[in-house]
Amino acid sequence: MTSSVRIFFLGGLTSYRALFSWLSPWVLVPTFVLGPIFQILFFAYVGRSAGVGSDSFFLIGNAVQYASIPCLFAMGNTIDGERYSHTLGLLLVSPARRTPLFLGRALPVIVNGFVVSLFALVVGAVVLGVKLPLASLPLLAFVVAVSAFACTGLGLVTAALALRVRETATLSNLVFGMLLIFCGVNVPLSALPGWMAAVAGWLPLTHGIAAARELAAGAPFSAVARTVGAEAGVGAIYLVIGLVLLRFLEIESRRRATLELA
Amino acid sequence: MEVENIQRRYRARTGIRRRAAREVEAVRGLSFEVERGELFGLLGPNGAGKTTTIKMLITLLLPSGGSARVLGHDVVREAREVRRHVGYVFGGDRGLYERLSGLDNLRYFAELYAVPAREQRQRIGELVELVGLQGRERERVEGYSRGMRQRLHIARGLLHRPEVLFLDEPSIGIDPVGARELRTTVARLVELGTTVLLTTHYMFEADELCDRIAVIAAGEIVAQGTPQELKRGVVEGRVVEVEVFGDAQSVLDDVRALAGVTSVSVEERGQAQLVVVRSDAGAEVTSSVLAALAGQRLGRVATREPTLEDAYVELVNRP
Amino acid sequence: MSVLRLLGLGWWLQLKMRSRSAFDGALAIVYPLFFATSVFLIYRQSASSTALVAAAVGASVMGVWSAVATTASTSLQNERRQGTLELLVGAPRPFALIVVPITLSMATIGLYSLVATLVWGRLVFGIEVSFVHPLTFALACVVTALGVAVMGFVLAVSAVRYRSAWALGSALELPIWLTCGFLVPLSILPDWVRPVSWLVPVTWGVSAIKAAALGGQPWPGIAMCLGVAAGYALLGTLLARRMVDSARTHATLALT
Repeated sequence: MTSSVRIFFLGGLTSYRALFSWLSPWVLVPTFVLGPIFQILFFAYVGRSAGVGSDSFFLIGNAVQYASIPCLFAMGNTIDGERYSHTLGLLLVSPARRTPLFLGRALPVIVNGFVVSLFALVVGAVVLGVKLPLASLPLLAFVVAVSAFACTGLGLVTAALALRVRETATLSNLVFGMLLIFCGVNVPLSALPGWMAAVAGWLPLTHGIAAARELAAGAPFSAVARTVGAEAGVGAIYLVIGLVLLRFLEIESRRRATLELA
Repeated sequence: MEVENIQRRYRARTGIRRRAAREVEAVRGLSFEVERGELFGLLGPNGAGKTTTIKMLITLLLPSGGSARVLGHDVVREAREVRRHVGYVFGGDRGLYERLSGLDNLRYFAELYAVPAREQRQRIGELVELVGLQGRERERVEGYSRGMRQRLHIARGLLHRPEVLFLDEPSIGIDPVGARELRTTVARLVELGTTVLLTTHYMFEADELCDRIAVIAAGEIVAQGTPQELKRGVVEGRVVEVEVFGDAQSVLDDVRALAGVTSVSVEERGQAQLVVVRSDAGAEVTSSVLAALAGQRLGRVATREPTLEDAYVELVNRP
Repeated sequence: MSVLRLLGLGWWLQLKMRSRSAFDGALAIVYPLFFATSVFLIYRQSASSTALVAAAVGASVMGVWSAVATTASTSLQNERRQGTLELLVGAPRPFALIVVPITLSMATIGLYSLVATLVWGRLVFGIEVSFVHPLTFALACVVTALGVAVMGFVLAVSAVRYRSAWALGSALELPIWLTCGFLVPLSILPDWVRPVSWLVPVTWGVSAIKAAALGGQPWPGIAMCLGVAAGYALLGTLLARRMVDSARTHATLALT
């Protein structure tokens, strides 16, 4: 038990630092500070020139969606980076338990997504002059955290696929793009074709963004509790799928020797 | 080619947090001359400054001190003139565009080295043949073996008919047959009048090819001359080789301390270790060496004439 | 003449290499489509159909910039990793003439994305662009690609010492989309942004492309795009010279 806990915290943190070498300010500032702010500004201004939506609508949608950058890429990198440095095989022959091992890697990723999103939300609000009710901030932070968790679940699925597909970054980019279009980030679900809205219901972020918008509009938590619950549920489903997939692909790749493709 | 007291310092960074900068002298004042049409060898252990020296001569690095002229052009002030007349080939499999065919690689570099358009086709054809890549030149480089890549490198370095060719450990990682072919190619180039500066780790390669050799260690020339002179000048004595089964390391110091012994080295030979003892001319050390090794299980014992390799080991190990 | 051969062959071989990485190539086209699709979905809600057509033209150029922005900053690092950077610098040709074809090939990939976005808009969203001056439109696209390639050249030589250049390149993608008139008229941006936008070649290219496709005066935009790009080319050449000198002093050309 204690060894599982150690693998969860220590293993997770070390691998995050080693593989996700984004901790230099030269990467942090452009990727996690300027990136989300400009995405918010871009869509807010597109909305203004189209005469559609409100600044607050684009602010919340894009700030929450940007959590997917750390959640997808960092999670994908934890697996792909290992293969690059030829340590994946070493990791998989170790007797460590898989579930705490991979969940441990997810925790710092969730924190990263949460911080990036929340920061974008606050700074974006200042830049665009959107007034978020102060009282809603703690709840907004909570919803952002749940969204980051759900998105990391999807990130784990992407990471698992990385065992098979070589181009993890490309895959993460594609998933990022899908989330941008489907999750009601820049267009209300009601304005999307029916099938897209239906798909959106099963993606992370959709419910989180909807709940955040309602909270920002002054709704009490009780009004959004079900939506937040749905977000957490979707995240949990992806997390389980991701773990099962990892297990399956691990067995598969041992059989077909696809582990060390590089 | 004249090189006068050339020096190069690097700023090495250690540690990530506290960037302690410290100056490393990679080349501490080398001087040598290479005549036209000569094949000159630079020998030395890893990190001795061979590659740094070459890079200064082909204008990729600026010297921190001293000066060098290639074909009468100063490598600092007349860089473009130098680049026009020198070719550079390094060992290993980098330095090629993997996703392009060998032919496309050559076409690209022919353009970069300003080979006149009407000569290109013929020149590339000749070189493909010279290095024995005909029939494979339209395949992508990613499918090439190491030896093929190395030969493509050489073709690339020769595109603009350089008068001086720099070969930086060209035979690294290629099989013995490939290495022999490479030596033949280099020898032919020299016959045709190309000046060649070669660095290598392989003593027989240097012995077979080079007209003159400079041995460098820790950024300084420790000896210079023809292979014959080096062999004679440094190791006039004899070499005793003793096969030892077991732990030879523990008694090495005893052997080193023997009168007349100039240097001792150990090579792994399967289960045995080969203790190589070099001695002064006239000193008869075989029996005292055997006495010092008493208690070890010994195999074959032999005495022989020194080779270039002995000279080299002796030179770079000198205090 | 021989300079043109060098540029032409360099461009063609670089394009060959780039098109052979199916995954990267496809992403260069697909990624801007996600943003274009979002934009179409936004505009579809507004009443004006002319606005939607204008958005389709503006959005189609986004891919030209992203194809260059995301790759130019790391292109020289890739050469270094392959061990070819030393050979490029050691060649007797001016370094600038070797780098420009590299970024030009990226901009060419961007032109695929331009066509793909227009086709996507037509097929999925039923947006019909009438192309008032079709030939001038094609010319404006080529000139814009040229302008973007020169921007990429400046980016490539200035980012060569910057280890995490990929992050810089990606971070520049959206600011240019936002401030250079792709979709957002310069008039609704803060006043201080406008003079900055005028100093970017692609701003003029986009305005020429829009004028040629939707009706208007494309020629001033084409001329300005070329003029500003020439300034960038000069700047890039000076930077390239400094970069090579500094690399020779600091020994940063080789990876090892």
